[in-house]
Amino acid sequence: MHLVSVMRRCVWAVLLWPNLLTSSVPLDCRQEQGGVSRCSSISQEKLLDRVIQHAELIYRVSEESCSLYEETFIPLPLQFQRNQAGYSCRTLPIPSSRSEVQQISDKWLLHSVLMLVQSWLEPLVYLQTSLDRYDAAPEVIINKTKWVSEKLISLEQGVVVLIKEMLDEGLLNLNHSEEALFQYDVQPEMVESVMKDYTLLSCFKKDAHKMEAFLKLLKCRQTEIYNCS
Amino acid sequence: MHASRLCVFVQISSACTYVACIQPLEDLAAVTPPEPHITECISRDQATFQCWWSPGNFHNLSSPGALRLFYINSLASEWKECPKYVHPNRECFFDNNHTSIWIPYCMQLRGQNNVTYYNEEDCFRVENIVRPDPPVSLNWTLLNISPSGLNYDVMVNWEAPPSADVKTGWMRIEYEIQYRAGNTTKWDALEMQRQTQQTIFGLHVGKEYEVHIRCRMRSFVRFGEFSDPIFIQVISSKGSTFPLTLVLVFGITGVLILVMLIVSSQQRRLMMILLPPVPAPKIKGIDPELLKKGKLDDLNFSSTGGGLGGPPTYATDFYQDELWVEFIEVDAEDAGTGEKEDNQGSDTQRLLDVPQPISHHMNIGFSNAVSFPDSDSGRASCYDPDVPDQDTLMATLLPGQPEDGEVKTSPAPERLLIRTQTAGPQTWFNTDFYAQVSNVMPTGGVVLSPGQQLRIQESTSGTEEEPQQGKEHKGSEDSEEEKEKEEQFQLLVVDPEGGRQAAESNTPQMFAPPSSPIPGEGYQTILPQPAETEPAATAEDGQSPYILPDSPQSQVFARVADYTVVQELNSQHSLLLNPPPRQSPPACRPQHPLKALPSMPVGYITPDLLGSLSP
Repeated sequence: MHLVSVMRRCVWAVLLWPNLLTSSVPLDCRQEQGGVSRCSSISQEKLLDRVIQHAELIYRVSEESCSLYEETFIPLPLQFQRNQAGYSCRTLPIPSSRSEVQQISDKWLLHSVLMLVQSWLEPLVYLQTSLDRYDAAPEVIINKTKWVSEKLISLEQGVVVLIKEMLDEGLLNLNHSEEALFQYDVQPEMVESVMKDYTLLSCFKKDAHKMEAFLKLLKCRQTEIYNCS
Repeated sequence: MHASRLCVFVQISSACTYVACIQPLEDLAAVTPPEPHITECISRDQATFQCWWSPGNFHNLSSPGALRLFYINSLASEWKECPKYVHPNRECFFDNNHTSIWIPYCMQLRGQNNVTYYNEEDCFRVENIVRPDPPVSLNWTLLNISPSGLNYDVMVNWEAPPSADVKTGWMRIEYEIQYRAGNTTKWDALEMQRQTQQTIFGLHVGKEYEVHIRCRMRSFVRFGEFSDPIFIQVISSKGSTFPLTLVLVFGITGVLILVMLIVSSQQRRLMMILLPPVPAPKIKGIDPELLKKGKLDDLNFSSTGGGLGGPPTYATDFYQDELWVEFIEVDAEDAGTGEKEDNQGSDTQRLLDVPQPISHHMNIGFSNAVSFPDSDSGRASCYDPDVPDQDTLMATLLPGQPEDGEVKTSPAPERLLIRTQTAGPQTWFNTDFYAQVSNVMPTGGVVLSPGQQLRIQESTSGTEEEPQQGKEHKGSEDSEEEKEKEEQFQLLVVDPEGGRQAAESNTPQMFAPPSSPIPGEGYQTILPQPAETEPAATAEDGQSPYILPDSPQSQVFARVADYTVVQELNSQHSLLLNPPPRQSPPACRPQHPLKALPSMPVGYITPDLLGSLSP
């Protein structure tokens, strides 16, 4: 009997020994709201990598959808790529030049990213409703916009966790207290709506590129292999 | 002068406005405007950028310093001047501190006296004007050469431009390789490559290739400049491909010649292997080779059974190609060719005739039958190989032939046979070659099939009565009855000398026809030997079966039967169509001629009966 109990413990030890090799810092899942939910432990590096992958994917899909929209709805003279004419996007108080980016701290990098992500959650929802109003919007654009909107929410969650872990800050207030930027009840005319949507898509593409660049710079700083000057 | 444009201001929100300008397409591709303008703005590393301008037609402004560049962006509230001029190039360089990504810049040229040359199209965002520097360190290595030695693969590798910060991920770059053969003008482009190496497949040995590369930011539009080309060429170590083709051609030709030689030398053997010969028909005991050569003497017939002991030593010349249809195929060939004998007349005459030529022909014909390597046992078995005597053979075949001691011949009608010798053979019979003997009487008479019996009847009706006056046949009543029955029968009596005696002797033969196995047919009975001096049947009526033709009168017996019936075999195993009479005089007895023959079947003698007939 004694032998059997020892054997049982040994078996359990053998089965559970891989857990000892986990060198990761388990992330606390208490932040999840809405009850107990399963979350698996993941290291900070891997989380950052996943966040960067998210940002790259979002940028690529947004670029594809913007090009597709441009080909479908925008006549050649009005295309932003050709003209490079100014279209104003909402600017945020975040660094824009590389030198500034190199100078700011990691904290500000992450916060900048978070601000960017959060600034686009609502406009993407508006974009979806606007595209649904079209008579013959390509299914591809609608699906891509929907997909981007979902991934952006996941990206926000990941950045929040990163901020908490890397910066040891408390849970940020995820409530978006900003005023509504768009008026949903007013339906603009078709031409105006088309140009508005086009501008939204172009600006989002730009900001997605910005997010990706910030996150990559952050990773470079984390690894400290290269001289991330 | 500004091109006609329509610009629209659209305000999304209080903080967001945009300007969209519509310009006709043709003006976009127009020649450079005459006023001073910004030529191009390029960023190489997404951290700095440069702008070039041109004075246009305003040559007075071409001196350095005459024009100044001003810029504005969303961060600045006013126009700022270029941070760094490169006057020889008419270039303005914006360094890191003055470069902001993701925000729009607008450029402006100002001359003296604050004359402004401004174009709305000169607004941009820095990430959109990025054109990376060409990759560096372009190099190639040979991967492999095809077995034929005509094609090879090459691995091209390079490095990212040093100005592009790829390591930190600030810029994501993709590359494009283009190559062309030395003498063509069209470049072949490969797929966009994110790695710093690529394989080029299917290059030709001996040709010189030119390769260059360019790159751009991923998901962006503008490419950078092409790198300096490199040249790839692989020379065949064997010299050139020409000898290779020669070697191949000669080798194949040599192999073909060798194969042909082998085939021709071993042709027979190959034919035996490929096309085996068809087995020849084999006769037991007979060597086919001997048959081909015609050596009948060597043929061994011993195994054929029956009475066939061996080939008779007859005339060597035989007619193998001749069909031996019947036994008495006399002068079949001679009649056709006419070269053997002067055999005019039909075969029937020859059949009944005694002279040598006929017998000779007969012999020949018979020997033909004998020597024919026929496995027909019916015929061969009946043949007696030991028949030495031709005459005897002839005698058996020709009824009335004087046999030695067998046939009693009356002196006068020795030639009792149907012959009109005086008249000539041809007058007697028509041009028939064959006469079918349908029956043979015991006295030796041969019953032939009828021909033109009517004619014969008419001609001989008158002469019949004469010999039939006195002597009455014993069975004359019967004969008469039978005569009545047999209207069709005809008796052909050949007796130019003594018709009477012939008629007398015809008596017993009267019954022959009725009893012939073929009733209902007319017969021409050829009377046998005149020894049978039997009372001739009276043939008062015109239906006399006897026909006594006048000797000088040419009787036309048109058709006679072709076949005869072998009745018996004599002691020498010869075929007896007209068996000799028995010792007991059958003259007064209307015996059935066939009944006189003990156990003699009517018809042909089969080999199995042959044994029973042997004496």
